Amino acid sequence: MGETLAQRMGQGDCVMPGRPPRALEAIVGFLTPPACREVVLGDLHERYRSPMQYISDAWYAVPCVVYSRIRRTADPGVLLMDALLLYVAFMAAARQFDRELLYSRLGLMRLAIPAGIAVVMLALADAYARPGRPTALRPLMQATLGVGLTGVAQTAFSAAGFSFALPLWIVLAGGSFGVVGVSIIGMLFPPDDHRPRGAG
Amino acid sequence: MTKADSIGQFEQLVLTAILTLYEEAYGVTIHAKVQDLAGAKAVSLGAVYVTLDRLEDKGLISSWLTDPTPERGGRAKRCYRLEAVGERALEESAATAKRVWDSIVRVWGKEWARRWRKEWGKGTA
Repeated sequence: MGETLAQRMGQGDCVMPGRPPRALEAIVGFLTPPACREVVLGDLHERYRSPMQYISDAWYAVPCVVYSRIRRTADPGVLLMDALLLYVAFMAAARQFDRELLYSRLGLMRLAIPAGIAVVMLALADAYARPGRPTALRPLMQATLGVGLTGVAQTAFSAAGFSFALPLWIVLAGGSFGVVGVSIIGMLFPPDDHRPRGAG
Repeated sequence: MTKADSIGQFEQLVLTAILTLYEEAYGVTIHAKVQDLAGAKAVSLGAVYVTLDRLEDKGLISSWLTDPTPERGGRAKRCYRLEAVGERALEESAATAKRVWDSIVRVWGKEWARRWRKEWGKGTA
């Protein structure tokens, strides 16, 4: 049956359209979480007909794979704890460096933006983590990466002149405290990875 | 049947594809078979991946990695098979579909069923 389907799709011996361009494969491989990279790249390679078809396949497949990976690795309870901790960290930093911000219009919402960005980054970091036994340093590295990218985003907002960007000191102080807290949460509650343990 | 075993229409299609493909059930062939079963509806490879992951998390299917093959650029396939719970879920959904069918035929009559088979039943038993 599999052979019949493969032939119907033009994958029989008579049709060998070659292999996908290496650059395309490298880009798709980079965007695909490591846990499913080999399988997804293999399937896309097997379905390859032309560069446009490959891009179209990858366009629909990769976001779904990332979503599925996040669904498998992210623990909503832990993410909520991360979000609350980061929010409190940025609030504490604002209280220290710019108390007016806490009482200004939309001030509390401005403080929630970096916390929100950091939580998204942390969920992505879990999804893109290499499968297997996590090292003791992984939570610290993921927290640093997640909060670091949030700092970069805030700096970019600031440079672009967006009014909701936070002052640099608040980002740095809140982010530093956040990294420590999020790392501790990460060590206490490692990612819940339901990746198949092998059936055969 | 517990709540975890209840399956949606797309999950039915994926389980049926795995059932009919035997040992050859992996991403590409499952997608092609699901596309066959879905008829005119376009099915993306990504939707199949998400559903396979979800079915595996529910314990309805299991998977294993094969050896790398040259036609896949030296990469392994992830093959799938139905677990006993998955077979039961598929049986239950087939029984539900049969009950729906019988109820419709009872109301619309056997003549309608004959016309339906002519129009839609191509390739079915």
